[in-house]
Amino acid sequence: MVRGNTMPSKRTNRNSNRETNRVRDNAVNALGPIGQLLHQEHTDEHNDDLNTGAFPQVKKKPAKIHDARHNVYARIASTLTIIVLCALLGFGYVTQSQNSKKSYESLSEDELVRLLDETNRQVDSLEQQRTQLSEQLDSIRSSANKQQELERVAQENERTSGILSGRLAAHGKGIEITITQGGKHIPASVLFTLIEELRNAGAEVMQFGDVRVVASTYFLDTGDGVICDGVSMKAPYKILVIGEPESLTNAVQIAGGVGSQLRVRYDAGVRIRQNNNVQIDATRQPSTYSYAKTVE
Amino acid sequence: MAAILGLIVGVIVGIVFKPTVPVELQPYLPIMVVAAIDALMGSARAYFERNFSDRVFVISFLSNVVTAVLLVFLGNQLGVGSQLTTAVIVVLGIRIFSNVSAIRRFIFRG
Repeated sequence: MVRGNTMPSKRTNRNSNRETNRVRDNAVNALGPIGQLLHQEHTDEHNDDLNTGAFPQVKKKPAKIHDARHNVYARIASTLTIIVLCALLGFGYVTQSQNSKKSYESLSEDELVRLLDETNRQVDSLEQQRTQLSEQLDSIRSSANKQQELERVAQENERTSGILSGRLAAHGKGIEITITQGGKHIPASVLFTLIEELRNAGAEVMQFGDVRVVASTYFLDTGDGVICDGVSMKAPYKILVIGEPESLTNAVQIAGGVGSQLRVRYDAGVRIRQNNNVQIDATRQPSTYSYAKTVE
Repeated sequence: MAAILGLIVGVIVGIVFKPTVPVELQPYLPIMVVAAIDALMGSARAYFERNFSDRVFVISFLSNVVTAVLLVFLGNQLGVGSQLTTAVIVVLGIRIFSNVSAIRRFIFRG
């Protein structure tokens, strides 16, 4: 027995324990070697118990080094560190809470896309309604003075399709975008995205460099610039757009949009100037169609 | 005491200077703030349990912030930035709640 210093009450307890142990021994012998192992484990555990009940158990505490001067410096340093860290926390909190008040900036890309999509759908339905109404108006008018009306409509169509196909020069209010290249090459895909965004925002006529942008306009990457409809160009790129200046500017400048992509990812400079009279002189000859024929 | 003083100083500096967050830091700052609040709550709990250690506080503060930012940065690289941000916020939120409940038990136990 390891213990020599047990209380009397413990001893009687121990005796009864021995009784039960003897009874279990018989059972253990019947179980064979595994039973013996289990039994050994149990008795070992019992014998290794240090809880004698004679001494109160005290938790071990690490010894403290007492060096008054060192302690004072350490305390001042740690207090200063804590103050600095907590000040950083408070500063960060206030900064973040003041900056997240702008409603669009806190939205994620997906939410913004959904918002844009919803707006576009709304615009589409309103546009549809407008077309319907103007058709009605047209029919009423044309019944009054048919010949004159037809002529006017034909002229108007000719003008719009001329502008649309790039056959005619155009002017009107819009924006001028200047993109300067930073360290990185601006890929053609991003420039195309920019053109698409402008189209979505209601751009009516566009000119990229000296090229009139039409439905079939394409962009290709080259080593140090892009090719736009067969004309090779280098940065800075100048884009003239005719359309509602506010919505065109928003289309480029929207948070997470193509403008900030250009600035953040490609280190490019994007400058937008709104102009009341954008002059687009670049034209192009209508292509001759080999397969498509107009329906009479 | 020092912590509260620091917080007040930081808030005042933030209000006075009204800084704008640089674009590169925008996704990380909220995470940093939440991680720091978690560290602060943990240290408050330790303070009530009488085993507050300034060294542990400083290290936990910095490691919390760095780990949270690294996780979100990794998420951004892998294209799951917003999901990992949510995950970090949820975990830190749970920790803050458990710390606050421990503090509450200390205050109202008796």
